[in-house]
Amino acid sequence: MFGFTALGVLLAMALVLVRGLAGPTVYDRILAVNAFGTLTVLLIAVHGFLSGRPDFLDIALVYTLINFIALIAVTKFAKFAHLGGPFEQRSWSDV
Amino acid sequence: MINISLLMIMVATALGLVWLRNLLAVVMFSGIFSLTAASLWVVLGAVDVAFTEASVGAGIATVLGLASLALTRTEHEKRTRVFHLPALIVVLVTGAALIYGTLDMPGWGDPDAPIHTHVAPRYIEDSLAETGVPNIVTSVLASYRGFDTLGETTVIFTAGVGVLVLLGRGRRYPVANPRVAAGGGPGRAPAAPGSEGAAVPGDSGEMRFKAILRVGGKLLIPPILLFAFYTQAHGELGPGGGFQAGVIFASAFILYALLFGVPMARAVAPASVLRGTLALGVLIYAGVGIAGVLLGGNYLDYSVLAHDPVHGQELGIILIELGVGITVASAMMTVFFVFAGQDPQQVD
Repeated sequence: MFGFTALGVLLAMALVLVRGLAGPTVYDRILAVNAFGTLTVLLIAVHGFLSGRPDFLDIALVYTLINFIALIAVTKFAKFAHLGGPFEQRSWSDV
Repeated sequence: MINISLLMIMVATALGLVWLRNLLAVVMFSGIFSLTAASLWVVLGAVDVAFTEASVGAGIATVLGLASLALTRTEHEKRTRVFHLPALIVVLVTGAALIYGTLDMPGWGDPDAPIHTHVAPRYIEDSLAETGVPNIVTSVLASYRGFDTLGETTVIFTAGVGVLVLLGRGRRYPVANPRVAAGGGPGRAPAAPGSEGAAVPGDSGEMRFKAILRVGGKLLIPPILLFAFYTQAHGELGPGGGFQAGVIFASAFILYALLFGVPMARAVAPASVLRGTLALGVLIYAGVGIAGVLLGGNYLDYSVLAHDPVHGQELGIILIELGVGITVASAMMTVFFVFAGQDPQQVD
């Protein structure tokens, strides 16, 4: 059962990779990267149960977290062409 | 089966990286490559490596790649379609030599391989009794191979210092910085037509209105910091440790900087504090070694730190992991703040 799931996840990874390579717009690629990250998390979870050691799920947690931050960086770059902004003086209520 | 599929995906990603010309896509695909590598490490059972690969390769490297892309102001690699025969021959010969070199290596999982017969049995049998740390990776990394890890930490410290020296003053003296000045000069590559990244610099005030992102990000930051502390403290028992914890800790600040701008994040973690903590981590690590010498042991021998050698080992490992975590977190934050903190308006 878990084997079939792993197979499905791997297949989906390959399809997502094709979409990421083919593009054509940057948004296709952003979606592809995000979906790939999610599939990686799924694969780790499935593999944990497949090998009878589901105690490494907190690694999957890191993947989700990191993928989220990387995705925000990519979308911000795609929209504003830099990562550091806003630079103007701001109110201190956000700190 | 999963191994082979993942390896095939890695090869496809690597070929895609070579084939793609859009540098933004290249950065994203290197993230995919890291994710695949990290899942491969999990499948092979090297969870500590997978942890590091996921946090450094897929996360920080992607963000730093984007930040440097923003500094270079070009999204497309220059097309050079010259067929270079000597280069091809050199690559083929090197590749053939490398493949020939692998022929002598023992088979995968061979119990008689040198790596399984030399020091590994001792680590597996004695490390728990000698250091009191259940995670063998941590005890090898922090105690048996403490010198190597000190070197790695120093490398990260040096990288942070190097970035500070080269770019750290870019915001105050934008013209004095040759790299940034060249990027803003009249000869810079124009943004490719149709690229979505060619937004007008300075319209990032729009970020102000992304309420869902900002509130969601703010809510996420405390759990991320907590998870970093968990990773730091849990490194003795399971996958984790100073390197991973430092990167996760820094990623919380990077998330804050992405959502609210580098100046705001700088207000939370000022440059003067980061410069201090960057050195403090290495200082803690090296200081633990000096303390061992003063107490009558060898450098980085933790057994003399407490009355009980095992207790001393545990104490030393906790302290040096803390030093590693502090330096890694400071270095990552420094590099990101310096890269992303170059104000595009000032640079122009």
